[in-house]
Parts: sequence; structure tokens; C-alpha cells
Amino acid sequence: MSAAPDWGHAAPIERLDGEVAIVGVGEGDHSKASGRTHQEIAAQAIARALDDAGLEPADVDGLLYSGGMGTEFGAKEFHAHFGTSHEIAAAPRGGGMVWAGTAPVAAVEWLRSGRARHVVNVFAVSWATQRGEMVGGPGHFHAHERMKRHLEVPWGWFPQPVYFATIARRHMHVYGTRPEQLGAIAVACRRHANLHPGAVMRDRPLSLEEYLARPMLFDPLRMEDCCLISDGGGAYVMSSLERARDLRAPLVVVEGVGDGRSHADVYWALQGDFTATPQVFSAPAAFEMAGIRPKDVDVLALYDPFTIVALMQIEDMGFCAKGEGGAFVEGSTLHFDGGRLPYNTHGGLLSHAYVLGISHVVELVRQLRGEAAAQVPDAEIAVYGGYTGAMASTLVLRRE
Amino acid sequence: MTLPFPLPDPDFEPTRPFFAAAARGELRIPRCRRCDRLQWYPPERCRACGSPELEWVRTSGRGTLFSFCVVRRPLLREFAPLVPFATGLVALEEDPTVRLVTRFVDCELEALHPDLPVRAVFRPLGHPRIAAWTRVVPFFTLA
Repeated sequence: MSAAPDWGHAAPIERLDGEVAIVGVGEGDHSKASGRTHQEIAAQAIARALDDAGLEPADVDGLLYSGGMGTEFGAKEFHAHFGTSHEIAAAPRGGGMVWAGTAPVAAVEWLRSGRARHVVNVFAVSWATQRGEMVGGPGHFHAHERMKRHLEVPWGWFPQPVYFATIARRHMHVYGTRPEQLGAIAVACRRHANLHPGAVMRDRPLSLEEYLARPMLFDPLRMEDCCLISDGGGAYVMSSLERARDLRAPLVVVEGVGDGRSHADVYWALQGDFTATPQVFSAPAAFEMAGIRPKDVDVLALYDPFTIVALMQIEDMGFCAKGEGGAFVEGSTLHFDGGRLPYNTHGGLLSHAYVLGISHVVELVRQLRGEAAAQVPDAEIAVYGGYTGAMASTLVLRRE
Repeated sequence: MTLPFPLPDPDFEPTRPFFAAAARGELRIPRCRRCDRLQWYPPERCRACGSPELEWVRTSGRGTLFSFCVVRRPLLREFAPLVPFATGLVALEEDPTVRLVTRFVDCELEALHPDLPVRAVFRPLGHPRIAAWTRVVPFFTLA
């Protein structure tokens, strides 16, 4: 292998020695605008995850949540919703995006020290209900970041669909990637969502022909290349392997975690490798910790705000060579039933719900237990890839 | 003073020299006096050597079209009167790792392709929905 590129690095991370298990998963109801608050949705997801684990709210003594984007659900909110008052270790080191992948590292400190026995990671949004151009939602941060406001937004380079259309065109120019290859990703996600009872797009089929006939509103991207805006959320419960053996769920063990960083911070325009993600740094670290190679992965879930983000991560994680992602994903490669790399088997951010990756991890746990709607036969190793632009994370899970 | 979104505040200190130069028809970028590297976006210290000694130097205004998006449905209403428009990045001739966000003007959208040579032109920013703001900023066109 060639030397690691110099535009980012793998952040040092606590080595997990197969000592954390995911013992319960749950989701809030996913929908378009529902009128619910993110706190209500988060509480619903936690209640379902605890029910899945066979635990009570009073058993939760660790809570990881998102520290930003107006999506906080800390100990105060937990007690308010569950009527509890016990001691809970809580920290804004969890949630969705990359943190849906790194939360086990935050949890292990508490599990090792005995400060917590059962740690919940939760994330929920009500962005469909809040939908507005600048108030909350995915564009909010970028509109208010001062350099972007002065050096990007005035020329119309805003918000995310524009960033990722620009990346997609460069990827097409450098590597020859074609629209029907991005379309193959969107079609695979939609097909999986059509099988998933909780997916927002469960009743809306999408063929490749239909995809190609849709207008390129953010040329070269179509609406079908872009994620939904949703109300929804999810939660998962982590315990030590020892305690997990006494609980009712089949064992799903955290085998590896990676955390990759780009030195370009939050500015896509300045990424050292414009058509790559920090999975370049994150995935090898996680795979090494887990002792696996890309070909060992039975089911993959990637943070997929846009088709091109999935394509880049597939390349950067080593499932194919850089630049060959387009050819790799064509046809049925990503489909759950016989594809070479079953991918986003719940439909992902494109077709399941835009709940920023938390449901990706929930889906992988269900796959490893054999409980998924679009079940991959005998899935043993599952991988989640998280992404924010400046960061990527990788989570390797194994069925015991 | 708070300007209506999405206008830049020309007095925002880190980018003030950029807008002041543009008003004179110049494209200026900060450069480290110690190691001569161009710096973008404007940092407080050189990203390569850490020196706080930066000067805004005039560039050729030439570069290549790095990549772009043709916006046919804007997500901001301020841009609605402009659609379809091409917005994207220019790699500067003096240092292609310096990528400037721009809007491409005075050319057919169909003529735009990555890696074509481009040059800066200076025009009022002019958002049709925001009256009375005519400050000159750099745009780019095919060279």
C-alpha cells in the first residue's frame, strides 16, 4: 500500500477489545412533517430500544446525545420524559452522523469504570416540521459560518446539494463516473426502502429509467440523488459483553471503530482531495482493530446525504479502487438479495429517512440478528460509515 | 451592521482586503511573507509555517475551472431570479490548491467544462431581490 495521503489523519482512538455489545435498538416513527418535537421522537426511540433490550428507563445510567444542531436530548430531557430521577452519566459525544459510529468509544469509558452499566446513544430530528430556509435544519450551520457567508454564499455556492453536485462533477470528470452509476445507488436504496415498513418512501418505487428521466435541478445531481428531510430518530443501548450475555437480544459486538479527520475543516471547497472522504483514514483503522478486510463485510450502511457521498466512501473504504466506484456499484451490486456488497438495506438517508445515520446502525444490528426487512442471508459482519465532510467514522459490528 | 442574507459584510476584517481589492478590479490573496505560500481562506497565521506575517498580493486573476454546479432550482429565494446559473470553484493559476468559490458569467452554461481556462471579471454582486447593493466582486468567465 502507498503512504497515507497528507490531507488528513486518523484520530487516536481507544482500542475496544470486543468488550461492548449493542443490546437494544429502537426507532421513532419516521415521517415527513409530523408536528412532533425531536424530544418526543427521541423518547419514543429510547422507549422502544429499552423494550427491545428488556430494560427499564431506571436501568439507563449512561446517555450519549448530539451536542449540536438543536437536537440535544440530555439527562434533563430523559428524566422529564420518563419520570425518573436517578443518576445518569450524560455527555454530548453521541448522536448521529460520525457519532453514530464513535459512540461506543465514549461509552466504553463508563462501562469499564463501572460508572454506567447501560449506555443509550440517541439521535432525533424534527427537521421536516421545522423546515425553513435558515432556521434549524441542515443548511443552518453553513449559512452562519462566517467564511462561508463571505466567500461562498454570495456567489450562490450554498447549500449542500450545490457542494455535492460540484464534487460529483469533478468525480465524473476525473474518473469518468456516469449518471446511471449514481442512479444505481439511488435505485438500490429505494428498492430496500420499498421493503421496509418504517421507510418514508416505502410506497414510492424508483427505476433507473425513472431516475434518468428526472430533471437535474442541481446539475449533475437530481432530487433523487439527495436525502430526504424528515422527522424521526433512533437509539441504541450499549452494555458490557458480560452484562449483554444476561440480556435477551442475540449478541452484537463492537469489533472496531475508526475516526478520520480532514485538515480542511468544514470547507468543502478546500478539501485536499476534493473527490475523497476521510474514510481514507478512518476505515483502515477500524478494519485493523476488528481484524477484518473489506471483502469480509456482509452488509454495509453509509451516511448518504447524496449518492456521490456513498460512492466516494465505498472507494475510500477499499471496497474497490479509487475512481472505480461507478463501475463497481452498477447493476445489482448493492442489493440485499445476491449483491456483492449489500448496502443501506433500510433505504438510507435517500429513501428511509433523514435521521443522520442513527437508523443505519439500528438496521445493521437487525441484520446481524436476522430481523431485517430486507435481510441479507446469514450476515455476520456489518459496517457503518459516518461522514460530516471534515470527519468520517467507521464502526464494525459482528454477530457472535 | 447586519446585511441581509446572503450578502457579505465588506467590513468583516478577515475578508476586508479581498473586497477592497475587488473594488479596484484586483484579485488579491493573502501570502506568507516568510514561506511565500498563498493562503486560502484567509487565516490568522500561515498554515504551512505558522508565521503571522501575511500580505495580500495581487494575482493574475487567471486559473482553471475546477468544477461547478448548474443550479436550476435554488434553495434560497434570493437566487431565484438568477436561475439557471453556474456556481463552483476556480483553481488559481499561481497555486491550484487555492480554490475560489465563484459564479461563472458571460458564457453559455453548455460551454463550461472542468479544467478549462478562466479569468476573473469584476461586476456588481447585485442580488435582484436585494436592492441598492452594488459592490463590485470578482466573478469568472471562460478565458
